Amino acid sequence: MITIFFRNLVRDLMRQPLRTILTLSGVIWGTFSVILLIAFGESVGKAQTKRFHGMGYGIVLMFPSQTTLPYKGFQKGKPIRITPEQVEDIPDKVSDIEIISPEFVRSCRMRYERREFLNTVRGINPPFELMRNIIPAKGRFINPLDMKEKRRVCLIGDVLATDLFSTSDPMGKSIFIEGVPFTVIGIMAKKLQNSNYNGNRDERCAFMPWTTYSALYGDKYVSNIIFRPLDFNRSAEVTQGIKNHLSKLIGFDPQDPDAIFVWDTLEMEKSFQTFFIAFNIFLGVIGSFTLLVGGVGVASIMMVVVEERGREIGVKLAVGARRRTILFQFFIESLTIMLIGGLVGFAFSGAVVRLVQTMPEAVTQFVGTPQISPLVAVSSISILLLIGTVSGFIPARNAASTNPITALRK
Amino acid sequence: MIKFNKIKKIYHMGTQSLEALSGVSLQIAAGEFVTVMGPSGSGKSTLMNIIGCLDTPTDGEYFLEGKNVAGLTFDQLASIRNKMMGFVFQNFNLLPYATAWENIELPMLFNGKNARNRKERITELLNEVGLLKWKEHRPSELSGGQQQRIALARALANDPPIILADAPTGNLDSKSGVEIIELLSRLWKKGHTIIMVTHDDRLASHSQRIIHLFDGREAD
Ligand SMILES: Nc1ncnc2c1ncn2[C@@H]1O[C@H](COP(=O)(O)OP(=O)(O)OP(=O)(O)O)[C@@H](O)[C@H]1O
Ligand SMILES: [Mg+2]
Repeated sequence: MITIFFRNLVRDLMRQPLRTILTLSGVIWGTFSVILLIAFGESVGKAQTKRFHGMGYGIVLMFPSQTTLPYKGFQKGKPIRITPEQVEDIPDKVSDIEIISPEFVRSCRMRYERREFLNTVRGINPPFELMRNIIPAKGRFINPLDMKEKRRVCLIGDVLATDLFSTSDPMGKSIFIEGVPFTVIGIMAKKLQNSNYNGNRDERCAFMPWTTYSALYGDKYVSNIIFRPLDFNRSAEVTQGIKNHLSKLIGFDPQDPDAIFVWDTLEMEKSFQTFFIAFNIFLGVIGSFTLLVGGVGVASIMMVVVEERGREIGVKLAVGARRRTILFQFFIESLTIMLIGGLVGFAFSGAVVRLVQTMPEAVTQFVGTPQISPLVAVSSISILLLIGTVSGFIPARNAASTNPITALRK
Repeated sequence: MIKFNKIKKIYHMGTQSLEALSGVSLQIAAGEFVTVMGPSGSGKSTLMNIIGCLDTPTDGEYFLEGKNVAGLTFDQLASIRNKMMGFVFQNFNLLPYATAWENIELPMLFNGKNARNRKERITELLNEVGLLKWKEHRPSELSGGQQQRIALARALANDPPIILADAPTGNLDSKSGVEIIELLSRLWKKGHTIIMVTHDDRLASHSQRIIHLFDGREAD
């Protein structure tokens, strides 16, 4: 009996290829669009977050400026000057700082053989690597010994490396920065960076110990401070703590809003996260509507298909089919179509996702690498499955519940 | 075998209602060959559908082999249609996308005959109606007479005692019509009860008895 049943099922589906294909394509399209929408929405969001983290993660930047309030006999307009030693001393005076670095910035001519470019030099200390996500693809970052001995060594950005060296290996070679030879000890791994301050993006920078930098160029005062608080939620308090400490040390009003300009990326991170929560809600809503539209489409196809088969139901009833035989037949038929359609739609969306994953970085940089969420796939397939099966079942039940003559008149 | 007691059938269409059968009482014995005649709209099809358990009466009692049909469930009626009745329609009512073979097979699928028995029976029936060569053809590839012979073979699939034929020749040319009537006569001689609707007196002459319907009543 079971084998008869399945043979008939396959036969019924094959007899009307057009009908079967139309129904299938409705289901395939429904599943395909929902799964892809969610996969791409999520990956675009992630790609943007990653680009945002390109500049650094969990960092606060402080730029010394000029006072705008008079303080203890000083006129307003006094420039704030901070030495790198004062910066490195801050964690001993102010609590809750994980890592901190002074930063010097200037533009320099950089030369290797015949090639010369004007790019940014940054004088920094070893923790800068972690704060700014400058991960060496080759070699290493500046280390404490480089700092102590004021070595003429530098790590260079990936774009600067190809500009100067094209295809040859820069490691261990000497480049001339304003005519002074520096040994290349590392090359930064390529990264996506969508925000920046002072000078070129990291891909075109040379990073050297600040000790070397100030000995060479004679700069006494840092262009900015960069630090990461222990607790990201308390970045504002820690920043104020540093301001209070520096105000005593240097002499300015700790409430002066402009003496030190602060860029708290953690604040931005919070609003960024809010944006992505909103974005995900938006995606969810759009996804649900797509699912709804897909569901309505599938439902109407199923209803039309089954209603068209009123005569078939009538004929089967007339020759003695029991109601539950007919219902079971339609139920399994709808279920089979929905299941095949769902799986094919799933496979198609998987193929598209695979394709995007192999695309060049120029594309993936913006769309990210989409991934199919199993939860979304399973739930959208089952929702469509339910809608399709029920909407095929109801007209079948109606037709099979009348007397055969009424069904035959359809 | 078949006993009608004041059978009524009323169709409701919106506010209007129409009495298609207004209290028909009749009896048909096993092995009879009966023809139902009457003008168009007199209720012949309505009567046949009720006999064939395809439709239910509004009022009155229908005893089939002594059992009141009104008390039967949907599935019991399905079983009667499957095993006791073979219905032949004026418009054939074959499944359009199924082959001749598959159409004949249909009633057997609903009574659980095994594959070998089905195959034997279908071959036997195709031979009987002379269409073995056409077994893989769909209804649209067959002439009206051939389609009606397939429909008759389907009605015989489970070897039911009663054959109901509602204007089986209505859509056929006279030669094909005669072939169908000859098939029905042969079945009657084999012991089937035959109830047939026709407008043609010559075809009716094959039967033993004629029931005349007029305006939903038996006329004579
Ligand atoms: N489903 C229906 N709904 C409403 N009225 C119906 C329905 N079926 C039949 N009738 C009406 O019932 C009456 C009897 O119809 P029936 O089909 O039994 O006639 P008939 O004798 O078979 O006619 P014909 O010779 O044309 O086939 C007719 O007036 C018809 O219009
Ligand atoms: Mg009629």
